[in-house]
Amino acid sequence: MPYDVTITRLPLRALFDLKGTATALAAWCGTALPPFPDRPNSRMEAAGRGLCWTGPDRWLLMAALAEEATLAKALRSEQAPDDLSVTLVSDTLTFFAVTGPDATEVMAVVTPLDLHPDIFPQDGAAWTEAFGIRSATRRIAAGYEIAVDRSYADWFEESLRRAST
Amino acid sequence: MLLIDCPFCGPRNESEFSFGGPALTPRPSDPAAVSDADWVDWLTVPPNPMGLVEERWWHARGCGSWLTICRHTVTHEITEVRLGR
Amino acid sequence: MAADPYRLAEGGRIDRSRPLRFRFDGRDYQGFAGDTLASALLANGVRIAARSFKYHRPRGVMGAGVEEPAVLVELKGDAASGNRPATTVPLTEGLVARSVNAWPSARFDIGAANQLAARFIPAGFYYKTFKWPDWHLYEPSIRRAAGLASAPKEPPQGAYEARHAHTDLLIAGAGPAGLMAALVAGRAGARVMIVDEGTEAGGALLNRCLTLGGQPALDWVAAVVAELAGMENVIHLQNATVWAYREHNLMMVQERAPANSSLLGRNWRVRAGQVITATGAIERMMVFQGNDRPGVMLASAAQAYVNRWAVPPGRRAVVFTNNDSAYAATADIARAGIEVAAIVDARDGVPDHSRALVPGIEVLAGQAVTSVRGGRRVRAVSVAPIRGGADRQLDCDLLAVSGGWNPAVHLYSQSRSKIAWNEGLATFVPDAPAQAVRAAGAANGAMELDRALQEGVAAALAALGDLGRSGQVPELPGSDDLPYTVSPLWTAPGAGAKSFLDIQNDVTVADIELALREGYSNIEHVKRYTTGGMGIDQGKTGNVNIIGAVAERQGKSPDEVGVTTFRPPYTPVEFGAIAGRRAGPVVLPYRHTPLTRWHKNNGAVMYEAGARWRRPGYYRRAGESFQDTVNREARTVREGVGIYDGAPLGKYEIKGPDAGTFLDWIYTNVMSSLTVGNGRYGLMLTDDGLILDDGVAFRLAPDRFLISTSTGNADAVGQYMEKLLQIERPDWRVKITNVTSQWANATICGPKAREVMAAMGSDIDLSPDAFPFMAFRDGHVADLPARVVRVSFTGELSFEVNVRPRDLPALWKAAMAAGAPFGIAPVGSEANHVLRVEKGFLSLGHEVDGTVDPHDLGMSWVMSKKKDDFIGKRSVELRRASGRPRRELVGIRPLDPNRQVPEGAPLTPGGRKEATEGFVTACVWSVVENRWLGLALLTDGRARIGGRAHVRLPDEVIEVELCDPIFHDPKGERLRS
Repeated sequence: MPYDVTITRLPLRALFDLKGTATALAAWCGTALPPFPDRPNSRMEAAGRGLCWTGPDRWLLMAALAEEATLAKALRSEQAPDDLSVTLVSDTLTFFAVTGPDATEVMAVVTPLDLHPDIFPQDGAAWTEAFGIRSATRRIAAGYEIAVDRSYADWFEESLRRAST
Repeated sequence: MLLIDCPFCGPRNESEFSFGGPALTPRPSDPAAVSDADWVDWLTVPPNPMGLVEERWWHARGCGSWLTICRHTVTHEITEVRLGR
Repeated sequence: MAADPYRLAEGGRIDRSRPLRFRFDGRDYQGFAGDTLASALLANGVRIAARSFKYHRPRGVMGAGVEEPAVLVELKGDAASGNRPATTVPLTEGLVARSVNAWPSARFDIGAANQLAARFIPAGFYYKTFKWPDWHLYEPSIRRAAGLASAPKEPPQGAYEARHAHTDLLIAGAGPAGLMAALVAGRAGARVMIVDEGTEAGGALLNRCLTLGGQPALDWVAAVVAELAGMENVIHLQNATVWAYREHNLMMVQERAPANSSLLGRNWRVRAGQVITATGAIERMMVFQGNDRPGVMLASAAQAYVNRWAVPPGRRAVVFTNNDSAYAATADIARAGIEVAAIVDARDGVPDHSRALVPGIEVLAGQAVTSVRGGRRVRAVSVAPIRGGADRQLDCDLLAVSGGWNPAVHLYSQSRSKIAWNEGLATFVPDAPAQAVRAAGAANGAMELDRALQEGVAAALAALGDLGRSGQVPELPGSDDLPYTVSPLWTAPGAGAKSFLDIQNDVTVADIELALREGYSNIEHVKRYTTGGMGIDQGKTGNVNIIGAVAERQGKSPDEVGVTTFRPPYTPVEFGAIAGRRAGPVVLPYRHTPLTRWHKNNGAVMYEAGARWRRPGYYRRAGESFQDTVNREARTVREGVGIYDGAPLGKYEIKGPDAGTFLDWIYTNVMSSLTVGNGRYGLMLTDDGLILDDGVAFRLAPDRFLISTSTGNADAVGQYMEKLLQIERPDWRVKITNVTSQWANATICGPKAREVMAAMGSDIDLSPDAFPFMAFRDGHVADLPARVVRVSFTGELSFEVNVRPRDLPALWKAAMAAGAPFGIAPVGSEANHVLRVEKGFLSLGHEVDGTVDPHDLGMSWVMSKKKDDFIGKRSVELRRASGRPRRELVGIRPLDPNRQVPEGAPLTPGGRKEATEGFVTACVWSVVENRWLGLALLTDGRARIGGRAHVRLPDEVIEVELCDPIFHDPKGERLRS
């Protein structure tokens, strides 16, 4: 009896790697960004854009690919003050959705991260490992989203498929 | 599989981290001013006690922080974890 | 097919409405759902079910659970597995099993002749005898003769799963103590996992006839299990064993029958905040002559067979004990209709409460069984007073023995927690914990049911306290269990060469005595010399007896002898369960570039080329040999134009006001002087003066650089840079972003590269003056946003066109179309290797091997003399100050141009059998010289250029001429063109 779960490879999306303090980034990026998350490894969303706090002075901005050019223009990577780093990294990650009633069961195979709602709440988003490689994991409506370096995507997709059947 | 309590991420498996060796004293700011013997000592004689030792670990698959942890080499008990040095 | 003739008419926890057929050693039998293979064999009267490991002695079932030392079976068919104790194999329809180490069957075993030679095969016999000329010469045939099951030839039909879990409290064991602890912690709302090795919960209660609160104890078990099932915060696994206790409360659990029926089994890695080991206790064997004969059985096992499986394991029994627990067992087997000839109790004083359990049965106090009669099974036993006196013979076909009980401290001890000798219980019990762990119940030495329940409550409350929670003391039902007392008898009078301490490994009292005589006095040495306790059962029934026997013979207490180390796994675990789904094609991660499909469709032979990247090695065409292909591709680049998939190259953006300072520190040369738009090749050393990586740094803006790293070292360089910044220079304002996967490139290389670039269409001025070597330009190529870089890893004119990976297939397609008139062809790693060797470019892992410094490679120019300090400078200078000769990079040409030299081959003075003076780092067929040539690291090599050296192979010596390591375009005119 396979797990009741759906694995979907998601299309590219706009991604920006942001480094610097929240104050300095907010000052530079202004309204282009959602409000800054106030807990490590959590995410804030606004107007379809998501901002994850992924490490000390490290943030990841996500939006639909259609917004890539608009955001690039708003964030002005090239001109960013020298204590900030704003880098377009849209192509670096491939995203997968693991959804369905058994999504948590399959995720227990994929990642050692504790996904109990008290530990990894609804707005949880964190770098961790999945099948032993670096991955960004977060909750979505019907399950979880996992992103891995694009070069591992084929191997990762096959691994997910095996874990869910 | 150790459990390392990353100050940013919380407790995570050792497999998310890369071992960065025992903690050395800061690199001499002017290596040329250090005697040959002291340089070799700094470079090649890391602390290796049977007991508590400070080590560097990189949270490679997590938040990207370099950590200094204090670990007991016999029991693996970790008494302290801090960001950076 | 016979029905099971030995089954009692009623009773037992078997489902008589579900008969199951099975096959053992080629014969068909029948049992019931709820049986184990062992209970079903006993129900069918199969008394000889195995042959022993070394002497091929007949053996029968001795235990009822994981302690079983004697009957290991190999399962056939879809669920094939080896070396399973028959007592732990749940019976299933159509099960096919055979006994291990017996041929053709356990009943008629050819190897049984070994018994006659037994006195010639003592402990250490193999090591002493088969040592000349080499043990490995004899090992295969010895292993075959003294074997266990063979590994299944086919992979299992089905999949295993490995999964992670997290819990506040993990409880190992669902006996009375474990269930009580789970109840308390579950009711308190903690996340609880309770894991039990049996097919159903209850632990020892399943094997006994006890009451709790005036009702059958199993009614209480059922009520607790039902309550736990209703708690969302509790995970309850049966038929699952906690097999390892690792650092920081990581527990390994093997679940043999997961609810997901598509799985053969699964392994859980559970991180537990707190652990309670409620693993029960294991009964010890008694040690006397012939104690391994079929018909000798643990008293608790005999009790279990009548109570749980309704199978009397004999008709007339003698019970041999040194403690009280056997009296309850005797009462149960007598009630099941077994005639009990006598209880032989080694103790002088037998408590009244024990005698009261067995009215009418003769108790022979202060006596011991000294030998067993019967060749293939027990027919009678000899009983004698321990202090001496006439012996007496008792007829029986079942000898139920109880040598006392050992708490199952295995997991507790694996946690590195201490265990200590308890004189009253005559065994080792848990002592000071080393992790967040507590033992409860019989596992903690609380042998009576009431105490076990109390300990379960206490352990749960204490664990909850440590978790910052509180719990309630539940109602404790009273039981009718009686006190347990024991007085050890480690070996019966006359115990010797047929008195087995380790049944599974055929280790006898005589073996232990031999080891002690030969000077192996430490218990760890006794264990290794005799292999006592080293079987698959890990000596569950025998280890403490070995310690006791050694203590007795050394005149010490068992406490002084000490205990050997408990190691995982507690019970055998399938490799498949540990691997889980990561098997077959996904066993190791592999990485692909955006062009992988194109490469495969165009004849590329793909293989891993560092850092898990699968890359094209070469693009074979019809009729070509490997060498033909490589030569053609290399010639394409030298004479026309080639294209290479460079996506994996490591790339980092370095940003901040201190970025230039930082790069000057980590590279040997100066990077801060770069002007925007330009790049420079550099080397990174580590502070021990050895080469970490090579690459190119480009200045994107005054405060921004882009550096490239070698593919294989990309991650290591990132880690290294972050460490320097976060640990050594936290005050420097530098930020690093890995953009390896944001930029992919196609490298167009060869004398016609510029024409192809022009044909693709670009808004970048490609002329050599406007766009010189080591510069980069941002713009468009084939209408795609691109960063074009003029670097060269082949020695030819090259344009590395970097685009977003999403655009790489389009770029590649455009290049192939635009390059077609110029004969463009894709080039793989093999041809690249040839091209870089011809040019004398270094390759990490070939020329850079962890011993050389830049001077050795003829790269003194890269070692800045302007900088006071850079990483590695001090150590390089220090090492070279000794003036000792060093191995230096040279070119080699075999005197015979058609003679290939293996890469890695040693160079020795004159080709003589002497210490090496270097080795060949690379050897390729050169398309510019049409001969084999290569590179080597050779002591004082540069001074010897023009002379000769000798490659020493096992059966020949190859003479080579030494030359400058750059064979092609030494002035670099082509790559700058």
